[in-house]
Amino acid sequence: MSDLAPNSQGTVSAPRPRSEPRPRPTSAPASRRRNQSQAARTARRAATISARRLIASPSALVTVGAFYLMVSSVLAGLWSTAAEAQGGSIVGYSSAALVWYIVTSEGAINAVPLRLIETIGTDIGSGTIETEMLRPQSVVGLRIAGEIGSAVLRLGVCVVVGTGFALIVAGPPPVLGAALLALPALLLAVIANIVAHHAFAAGAFWLRDAKSAWFLYQKLVFVLGGMLLPLEVLPRPVELVAKALPFAAVSYAPARLASGHLEPEWLLVQIGWLAVLGVVATLLFRAGERRLIRGGS
Amino acid sequence: MTEAIVADGLSRTFVTGPRRRRTTHDAVRKVSFTVERGERLAFIGPNGAGKSTSIKMLTGILHPTDGSALVLGLEPWTRRRQLAQQIGVLFGQRSQLWTELAPRASFRLLGSIFGLSDERVTARVGELGQVLEASELFDQPVRTLSLGQRMRCELTAAMLHEPELLFLDEPTIGLDLLGKEVFRTLLVRLNADLGTTVFLTSHDVADIEHVAERAIVVNHGSIIYDAPVTAMRRDLLAVKRVEVHFALDPLDGGASGSALDALGTSISSGVGVKATVSESGALQLDVDTLLRPIGEVIDTVLRAAPAPVADLSVVDPPLEQVIGEIYRRPAPESA
Repeated sequence: MSDLAPNSQGTVSAPRPRSEPRPRPTSAPASRRRNQSQAARTARRAATISARRLIASPSALVTVGAFYLMVSSVLAGLWSTAAEAQGGSIVGYSSAALVWYIVTSEGAINAVPLRLIETIGTDIGSGTIETEMLRPQSVVGLRIAGEIGSAVLRLGVCVVVGTGFALIVAGPPPVLGAALLALPALLLAVIANIVAHHAFAAGAFWLRDAKSAWFLYQKLVFVLGGMLLPLEVLPRPVELVAKALPFAAVSYAPARLASGHLEPEWLLVQIGWLAVLGVVATLLFRAGERRLIRGGS
Repeated sequence: MTEAIVADGLSRTFVTGPRRRRTTHDAVRKVSFTVERGERLAFIGPNGAGKSTSIKMLTGILHPTDGSALVLGLEPWTRRRQLAQQIGVLFGQRSQLWTELAPRASFRLLGSIFGLSDERVTARVGELGQVLEASELFDQPVRTLSLGQRMRCELTAAMLHEPELLFLDEPTIGLDLLGKEVFRTLLVRLNADLGTTVFLTSHDVADIEHVAERAIVVNHGSIIYDAPVTAMRRDLLAVKRVEVHFALDPLDGGASGSALDALGTSISSGVGVKATVSESGALQLDVDTLLRPIGEVIDTVLRAAPAPVADLSVVDPPLEQVIGEIYRRPAPESA
């Protein structure tokens, strides 16, 4: 066919020359650097867009804050009462420390949509993910970046609400330095939680559904992640196993710091698990995408 | 290389069911065709004919079980990300836009994903806004747009990174008549003004006539017709259906119905018209426009109408009828 084609007015026009030529092939390291910087810029933008979407629906933020306050106040009340019944403390946590523990562990978990695994699984099973595979960047990378953007906003709400609640109910944090360390730990916990969600949800590439993965993950985080209770409450062998698992990085680590334990090594543990979970999620998505391409949806 | 797409014996078989009771389904069977750069091709067929499966293979998100394909010189399923940079894809039932935000915000992220600078995205959005007459829509939240307006924004998103080849999978589905007409015009304009190759799947016969220069018809996974639309119009789309509803009096004891039958018989006595009266009392005239001008038939109906005309429409034959016609006729010369 000729390059000249009639336009909608019936006249003839040549295809318009491209004003920004496609980048020419460059050396491998330069190309890799350019790709990395491009990916970082895209990730930042995906996070910003996601946060803006949440701001555009402020009722969602109000719901997060209200639900978080309700759950935290019930659990904090239960643990405070239990501590007072035990003579003022349980496994080394005072009544006030338990309040700070619960508002932090709940905040870390509530900052991430509770059914995120199920949502990702549905996107995989329904073929929505295929649309994203038609883009020249990592599917899982963009998804994680987007989720981090809105989760940081939700985390901000939880930190403000939780700190206010804990100050009123339990007074200032037991150790201020440890509480300050809990802030970066919370951020790491939320990011690790999002990455773990994607790793678990990737099962849907094989199972076509992630409901069971969501159920399992949620229960593991509730108990072995220390969301509902300090891990020291568990029998000693279970406690040791729980502390060695990644679930502790998504809830227990920041809560342990906020409850007055100056143990900065938990930040390193979180960074380590974040790296491991990131590699696992990336590999699982890569394998899942390959399976989708070979097998079809 | 002048070909945008070269498909050679492309096949895809799906295996389903538990191991002992596995069944196979040939979604696409040995499909071979080429698409020239700058061409507008309609790839049409009924539901389940293999259109979407073919698009998935050609865009690299599905591996064929047999055959080969090159899209813009790349094997799609092994060079998916590289190919993604050069093609645009629009699925009629899937959105690329975030509903809570204005399309412009989505464009900025999509531009970044495809490696465009912010300045380039701004310029490109301005340019596409003009071509697609959509600039005023870009700052309204997507959820407030009508489907037709949203599809124009989706088209902008798909064209943002200046793809050489645009795949559209059932893009007019769900649009009303006016929306379809506007969308078809815009596709032709995109092709003419920007030189974009258009690969369109649809099960709407009108999409072929208004958008494509060439049509490939698929049925049960195989190509059954491949010809320029001018030839197709002559061979298969010459027959149009004129449907006339009259404001008949239901209490006249059947006199109006008899008059309608008489009118149908009278019109069908000429060449190129077959008349029937539907159960709802409408007069249906299948007019072969190569033998008899459609205006003349309508004039005759209006002159001899037994009652005032309540409604009149001229429609293309449904796709099933076109496919039936293809099977009845000798195979046309391929393009």
